[in-house]
Amino acid sequence: MKEIKIVVKNLNLFYGEKQALKNITLDISAKRVTAFIGPSGCGKSTFLRVLNRMNDLIDNVKTEGEVYIDGVNIYDRSLDIVNLRKNVGMVFQKSNLFPKSIYENIVYGPKINGIRDKKLLDEIVERTLNQAAIWGEVKDRLNENALSLSGGQQQRLCIARALAVEPEIILMDEPASALDPISTAKIEELIHDLKKEYTIVIVTHNMQQAARVSDQTAFFYLGELIEFDRTTTIFTKPSIKQTEDYITGRFG
Amino acid sequence: MERLLDEHIEKLKTRVIKMCSLVDEQVQSAIKSVEEENLELAQQVIEKDTKVDKYDNKIDKICQKIFALTQPVAMDLRLIMSSLTINNNLERIGDIAVNIAEYAIMIKSKPAFFNQTNLEEMFKVSKQMLKDAIDAYIGGNETLAKSVIESDNKLDQLNFDNHKISIDIMKQNPENIEPGIALLVMSRQLERLGDHCTNIAEDVFFIVEARLIKHKYEKYLFADDKDDKDD
Repeated sequence: MKEIKIVVKNLNLFYGEKQALKNITLDISAKRVTAFIGPSGCGKSTFLRVLNRMNDLIDNVKTEGEVYIDGVNIYDRSLDIVNLRKNVGMVFQKSNLFPKSIYENIVYGPKINGIRDKKLLDEIVERTLNQAAIWGEVKDRLNENALSLSGGQQQRLCIARALAVEPEIILMDEPASALDPISTAKIEELIHDLKKEYTIVIVTHNMQQAARVSDQTAFFYLGELIEFDRTTTIFTKPSIKQTEDYITGRFG
Repeated sequence: MERLLDEHIEKLKTRVIKMCSLVDEQVQSAIKSVEEENLELAQQVIEKDTKVDKYDNKIDKICQKIFALTQPVAMDLRLIMSSLTINNNLERIGDIAVNIAEYAIMIKSKPAFFNQTNLEEMFKVSKQMLKDAIDAYIGGNETLAKSVIESDNKLDQLNFDNHKISIDIMKQNPENIEPGIALLVMSRQLERLGDHCTNIAEDVFFIVEARLIKHKYEKYLFADDKDDKDD
């Protein structure tokens, strides 16, 4: 039995009057890759942002229900959001690196968390760049501007930066949608390696990508969780017709 | 919503159905050539096998194209995977028709002891099994598919009994040995035909219900407990 990392119970989310997520209940396993799929506007990215309370930054959003990470309700008023976001890292569709050096991008988070020891920071840089499978490509140019890297390298640097603050969960919102096939393959291999140590939740429009990288897949439609099962089951023998119609391209 | 894949799948289905009717015709003709001692018809079966082989290749090619270009999943994936295995079984059945036709030419006419064997009954059962397997595949009919699987036991038994009957006949007179062996080979070929029909019937369950029942159909089809989940 796999350990459960995130428990979501009866989650509802409203953008003003409009309900974007309807009574979502699901468990996300630790050290596994969970993919969210569904057509545009189905609520999958909104749901991803629920998991580190990124929706709090949007005006007029109301969230109901419970979300537990390691047994702690992250919507509890007393929860420290900074700590939550340290524990739940996020990688976006487009890289959002700082216009600073590669080195500075990585050490930014650890420095904010109070680490000042140069040797320790150097270790973090080497470790995370290695984990993100980019160390070999950038180790001799750590002081160059991060924005000089290719799109694929920038995305892996974003992952390295997320790892620098030692999260346990990594959320990825379309992390490879703007990348070429080779860079996409590198990101997918990286996701596969990272799941040994991290719980990964990925939103993707690319169903083949969800099939390749994830262990479990959740299909969302019009704000509802239609089906959640092992990825192999979803792509070979889904239980619900809507899921089958979506993954075989009959709608969406 | 009309998908690009639908066009490929329609083409594939049409080709598999054509292959089905071609192979069915080959088996009917091969058996008829033995029954009616029609050597010309037997020769036609042998010559027509190249057409079966061509269709075999055509179906393989279209499946390869679909896999490469559309990455099918779920029911589409099952249909295409099954088309490949059904095609393979049909091609082997086509070869069986050729073997029967070759032996029809070899023995020229039915030996006097033909009616003492089970061959007449085996012809009937195997033709029906092939017809039902094809109909079950085309119509996605699981009841018919199950009846094909059930009939295979009957065909196996007929073949088994034929061995004993043929050996007795051959013991009676050495001149019976050559035609006796020919009839034994035919019997064995028909038993193999039944196995291929069973494979096709098993695929019907895979297409319709996503259940992989091959090598374990007794557990799924003839037992009360159907709750086992596939891996």
